[in-house]
Amino acid sequence: MSIRPTLLLGAAAMALVPLAAIAQSDTPTGGSTNQSPLSQTPLAEDSTGDETAGASPVTQAQELPQVGADWPFWGGDAQATRYSPLDQITPENVGQLERAYVYHTGDMPEGTAEGKYSPEITPLKVGDDILTCSAMNMLISFDAATGEENWRYDPGVPNDAIPYGATCRGVAVWTDPEASEGDTCATRLIEATLDAKIISLDAATGVPCEDFGENGTIDLWQDLGERVPGWYAVTAPPTIVRGVIVTGAQVKDGQAEDAPSGVIRGFDARTGELAWAWDMGAPEQNRDGPPEGEVYTRGTPNMWTTAVADEELGYVYLPMGNSSVDYYGSNRSEAENEFSTALVAIDATTGEVAWNFQTVYRDVWDYDLGSQPTLVDFPQDGDTVPAIILPSKQGDIYVLDRETGESLHPVEENPVPTRGEIEPEYISPTQPASSYHQIRFEPLQERDMYGMSPIDQMFCRIAFRRANYEGFFQPPTADAPFIQYPGYNGGSDWGSVAVDTDRGIIVANYNNIPNYNRMIPQEETDWPIITDGGASGEGAGGNAPQEGAPWSIRINAGWRAPFTGMPCTQPPYGGIRAIDLETGETIWDRPLGTARRNGPFGVPSRLPLTIGTPNNGGSVVTAGGLIFIAAATDNLIRAIDIETGETLWQDVLPAGGQANPLAFEADGRQFIMIAPGGHHFMGTGVSDAIIAYALPE
Amino acid sequence: MSTSTNSSMPQRAGKIAVIVLAAVLAVIGAILLGGGAYLIILGGSWYYALAGIALIASGVLLFRFSVVAVAVYTALWLATLFWTLWEVQFDWWAWVPRMVAPSVLLILVLLCLPAITTRRPAARSV
Repeated sequence: MSIRPTLLLGAAAMALVPLAAIAQSDTPTGGSTNQSPLSQTPLAEDSTGDETAGASPVTQAQELPQVGADWPFWGGDAQATRYSPLDQITPENVGQLERAYVYHTGDMPEGTAEGKYSPEITPLKVGDDILTCSAMNMLISFDAATGEENWRYDPGVPNDAIPYGATCRGVAVWTDPEASEGDTCATRLIEATLDAKIISLDAATGVPCEDFGENGTIDLWQDLGERVPGWYAVTAPPTIVRGVIVTGAQVKDGQAEDAPSGVIRGFDARTGELAWAWDMGAPEQNRDGPPEGEVYTRGTPNMWTTAVADEELGYVYLPMGNSSVDYYGSNRSEAENEFSTALVAIDATTGEVAWNFQTVYRDVWDYDLGSQPTLVDFPQDGDTVPAIILPSKQGDIYVLDRETGESLHPVEENPVPTRGEIEPEYISPTQPASSYHQIRFEPLQERDMYGMSPIDQMFCRIAFRRANYEGFFQPPTADAPFIQYPGYNGGSDWGSVAVDTDRGIIVANYNNIPNYNRMIPQEETDWPIITDGGASGEGAGGNAPQEGAPWSIRINAGWRAPFTGMPCTQPPYGGIRAIDLETGETIWDRPLGTARRNGPFGVPSRLPLTIGTPNNGGSVVTAGGLIFIAAATDNLIRAIDIETGETLWQDVLPAGGQANPLAFEADGRQFIMIAPGGHHFMGTGVSDAIIAYALPE
Repeated sequence: MSTSTNSSMPQRAGKIAVIVLAAVLAVIGAILLGGGAYLIILGGSWYYALAGIALIASGVLLFRFSVVAVAVYTALWLATLFWTLWEVQFDWWAWVPRMVAPSVLLILVLLCLPAITTRRPAARSV
């Protein structure tokens, strides 16, 4: 017996779901029909329908804007496929692609922000306008066809609010179903900021929406406890579902157990009032906010990346990260153990957990879920199942039923190589893996060590032999360094995957880089936790004090050799592949990124050879049959033939393209746009440019 | 090139270059022998220690202006080539740390040949 009929009855009774959604849900089920014991009833027993009568909250499914001429969501469409139906640019004519215009946001690092910029911006295109944020959260509207500025709004985010980096991956747009066209704030531009505010502006004029919070702003620091700038910052666009703005935040990694809560909050998109809060430490008590004088449970896993929502089902899917102390877990709560590094589905009308799917048991590797999941109608047994594609940093790609959270393919349960000596009781004896698709490579061997000569290669071999490493999921150790492979940058990170829903192809770029870490007893370190706000430049790399845990950790992100600065492991360090959506089989796979900007001692080699570099930022796929992606450290944007994987066109960017591109149409012309802001940790420079490419007129 | 018996400027420069290269080979050899011995103790590859010994030997021989230095280094280079083939087959990026620097040194060692063959007696005095 499926749970779907129950769901359907409930939904129909509440009259909250449009007919289209019911038709869509009325498909044969695949896989197991048993609900996970972790799951709760997807729909609240008591009717929320009452609240819709005349009251402000929007609980009905809205009609959502479509991708095509517009790019109305961070992930392109509401499903986050990053697939554009535009086909003016094709493999045959892409060679003629040229810059149509370059817009400059004017937001460049000043003073203490120097060396901390990693903007990672993907603008939206709605109507005639590009709507975007800048690295420090300035909101800007400019003409999509010409690059001419319409308006800008500066929320005045201070430098000390910068967490790991000055990042604003994107913004969201919401149209009020009750407003008439032309009303102020009928369509709103919504941004969550580094200094933890949500700002709502009239998308047409840039004027703050007065009915939202206080003069168009709400303060997310409320109910979090002590305000430490940079410890709680939003870098991802919020997700809006059923008129509820849902956001988590980046909580500074590795500093202390006593860190701000990872609470997920939903706010009424019209008024900014708290609709619900999901505090895994006290879900019932704090659903409507903590009682007077209390705060949300501190140090719990957060969501720094972007969620996706199913408007018709009313679920928002949260890719959760890890607890604030990433590499030690014995003092975590049961709730933390249940929800860290898990995809959690929340019913956006109630704030209750519908189901969760954990990708790492008892994560002590900082394997946060970094990618925004993608909603697809997954082909199975000649029909389709409403599914969600979930990429992970370990390189697993899961396909889950989005109503139940059940995997559509068997989930492997693999024994770990060792449970280590630091907390063997805590370390899980098994870990899950996807049988659908894995972007994962063979465990490292001594012969995989690299260098510019036999000398530095030998030192990397010595480092390899000195380290504890028994393979995938090697737990942290203190007697010697340990190798974590893949490292915390993936597999898949925030760039996420793109899905060509016409051809049935997943396009995934990935990293192939280990980290070289060592646990150090807390009493032997006097590393200060960062309380003066902002990034020390360490961020997720370097030293993490982990105050409150018995161990600190020294992290060598990307395992770079001292002196030469070169990676200790051999290339490729990153690649891109096309995967058959239905079977999960690899269609093609190739390294991504040339060696032109890489070399020993940080000196660019200028070699045009495709080596496969570290990359961050995703792709956009167009119906014309092209993949547009930058992401790599070579500061190139390229067009790749989706059928063959061949690069057909490229252009040199002013800084690293660590940002997802977008596609849109304006004045009958198809544009490809990217904001190559560079990335401080990846050493790819900094730029305030937003570049629009098109075919010659 | 003519093999004039007069100690001309080019010949002196050639001799200095040979001595510098001999020192470079010996220093690299010492580093590889030291690190390679530690790597063997850790259970790793024997290549580096053995290559270190061969490099020290060719350095010392080159310092003495012995033609055998060229033979020893060429043998090391060939051994390195076969070791690379054995260890990483045709994974070309993996050839970079293994073969590029040794090949540059091979060219330099071969370039020493004229200087060594013209003034063999000089080696005796060392």
